[in-house]
Amino acid sequence: MQVFKLCLKILKKNLPLMLMYISIFVVVSIIMTFATANEQQKENPFSQAKSNIAFISEENSPLIDGLKQELGKIANFVELPGKTDALQDALYFRVVTYILRIPEGFTESFMKGEDVQVEKTVVPNSYSNTYIDLTIDKYLNIARLYVQQMGDISQESLVRHLKRDLFNGASVELRTTANDSRNNIYLNYYYNYFPYALLYVLILGMAELMLVFNDSDLKKRNACSPLSSKNMNMQFMLANVMFTFVSWLIMVAFCFVLNFKSSFNMNTVYFIINSFVFAISGASMSFLIGNLVKSRGAIAAVSNVVTLGLSFISGVFVPQEFLGSFVLKIASFTPTYWFVRANNMIAGLTQFDFASMEHVLSGMLVQVCFALAFFAVAMVIAKKKRLS
Amino acid sequence: MFAHIFMYRLKCLLRDRETIFWTLIFPLLLAVFFNMAFSNLNNGETFKAIDIAVVDNEQYQEDQYFRSALNEVSQGYDRLFNLVVVSKDKAEQLLNDNLIAGYIVVETPLKLVVNKSGMNQSIIKNFLDNYIQTVSAVNSILTVNPSRQQELFNDLGNRRQYVKEVPGTKAEPNNVLLYFYTLIAMACFYGGFFGMREITDTQPNISPLAARINTAPVHKLKLFVYSMSASLLIHIVEMLVMLMFLRFAIRIDFGTKTGYVLLTTIVGSIAGNTFGAFISAIVKKSENIKVGILICVSMAGSFLAGMMYQNMKYIVAQKIPILSYLNPINLLTDAFYCLYYYDGFLRYTVNIGILLIFVIAFCLGIYFIIRRRKYASL
Repeated sequence: MQVFKLCLKILKKNLPLMLMYISIFVVVSIIMTFATANEQQKENPFSQAKSNIAFISEENSPLIDGLKQELGKIANFVELPGKTDALQDALYFRVVTYILRIPEGFTESFMKGEDVQVEKTVVPNSYSNTYIDLTIDKYLNIARLYVQQMGDISQESLVRHLKRDLFNGASVELRTTANDSRNNIYLNYYYNYFPYALLYVLILGMAELMLVFNDSDLKKRNACSPLSSKNMNMQFMLANVMFTFVSWLIMVAFCFVLNFKSSFNMNTVYFIINSFVFAISGASMSFLIGNLVKSRGAIAAVSNVVTLGLSFISGVFVPQEFLGSFVLKIASFTPTYWFVRANNMIAGLTQFDFASMEHVLSGMLVQVCFALAFFAVAMVIAKKKRLS
Repeated sequence: MFAHIFMYRLKCLLRDRETIFWTLIFPLLLAVFFNMAFSNLNNGETFKAIDIAVVDNEQYQEDQYFRSALNEVSQGYDRLFNLVVVSKDKAEQLLNDNLIAGYIVVETPLKLVVNKSGMNQSIIKNFLDNYIQTVSAVNSILTVNPSRQQELFNDLGNRRQYVKEVPGTKAEPNNVLLYFYTLIAMACFYGGFFGMREITDTQPNISPLAARINTAPVHKLKLFVYSMSASLLIHIVEMLVMLMFLRFAIRIDFGTKTGYVLLTTIVGSIAGNTFGAFISAIVKKSENIKVGILICVSMAGSFLAGMMYQNMKYIVAQKIPILSYLNPINLLTDAFYCLYYYDGFLRYTVNIGILLIFVIAFCLGIYFIIRRRKYASL
């Protein structure tokens, strides 16, 4: 087992560097997992976490009070000084995400049926803001119905009517228990970040091994050793497989350490299977890259570009639903895309029969195909190199 | 002497493809990736009609108002829903297969069945709530005023937008910009690769090249400063190329204060270079470890400044405000954003001021570490 031991030695020599990268990537993954999952929680309409808004009214009327009460159901009010730069700062540091200003004379014009608007200043693209917009629009649109159809209605009775109307709502039946789906969000995010760290480490380690073994002098020396080349290759492969397996295991173990009490369900099992399938395709991609690079500097360059590139276009950092269809088309030629896609599906699974698993399994199958393709290409290149 | 050292240093650095890759090509590639990933965040193309089902029961057939309301939003190019009308069992199955976001059961009150909560589910719920509340309003109007039925129904169609957006400053708020600003800040700090090389190539105990250079009868500090200025020149030119690429190829908006944007970039570049030199001087380990530390520190800084996840910047600003002032990459990002976003210069000046303090600290550090070194043997 000389070759195998040599591989371990090489890996061990590179351990401090790899550990440094692994730890920073794992920390980043974990922080991102929790931060984005928490954000997701906030945006969860059925849990109704409140967003912070500033309500600045230049007048007082029952209509406005009613609106404020209605908004109070979905938002916390933060008192802010009315000066412009204080408001700019508040938005800039996200003390509030929404500043609502009711202009003077709004109620009077509104009650006359004139076309008036309230003003908002917002942090862009904040999802919770949409709810505030919708709530205001809903309140005022229904109020408008009353004003137009019952022209002489007083503000007080208008607000009473509105209050009663807006009390109604559809009932929602959430099929899985809330805790389960919450847990799945964490797992989903953690495993979505998986390719980022894992690919990086795999490329780094395997390319390093290949670099040593592809050195032509060393190759010549090895060729005259009494070991058969089959034996040597087997040992080399074994080392690579073990390296992949251990890296994968460490990453999966982290997930249990962080979230151990709620990791025991079927979804977790499939997350793990999927990540294992990805580890295989990642390993064979790294094997291909290892066959192509020629210097240590190039390893760092390629591993950074490949991991970050794949992560950005296939939905690791930016969720797939936010990516353009063109980008997703390109991404579908990478295993990461299929991995993330399968993850997102697994997170939504509540039943595990074949019919509901079909898309998940096909996603895994595509990854395996990628693994085979990468491996085949790598073999062809290796053969060509050997002959030249 | 200056011209000689400077010219040869310039040639030497320009032939170092690896450093050029990290300081120029890598940030440009990242900019392209960012552009691919974020191009959709700021335009409305992201919305896709939601797949839903409604259970085909008696109440649904009887409730013509609900049916027409639902059909109205399920038709046309910018429809809200892709609607299918199916039996209860079929709806249940579609939901389990994740082919629909949820299904609606018409009863009192309307019921929405989902298997997870998310954006699509809440849009459906909002639609239903809105319908129920409007119906409730219509009913109470009709009990008082039954004659106005026709006008009322006509009126229902013209919903109004009651919220008008007023920008907080002259600049249009734009979240995606911040990602690109952190990218510039990161690229500035990747200039540390140059600074690192300067130390490696002028300290005799680190490389043979430096040992040779040091035998020349040139003042060591001058030698270092001259070759460092070659590094700075290359990096500043690279950064300008990057700014041009962002401005004209990717069309990133930097606001109107172009001169200040350039100034910020140059200060950032100096900070990055001196930072790299400082790390290289203080860490007496192998080249690999130095590069590793440089990359890790700048990546961690970029992460905290919001390069991978934007809200990180705000989380840091709210929870550990001191950290946002101690993170030079955040200072630089913030400086760019201030130029774009604020009308005044106060925050910008604070950011650049602290950054300059960092630069001075790095320079002093380098000076005290590498001065007056003597070698008995090399």
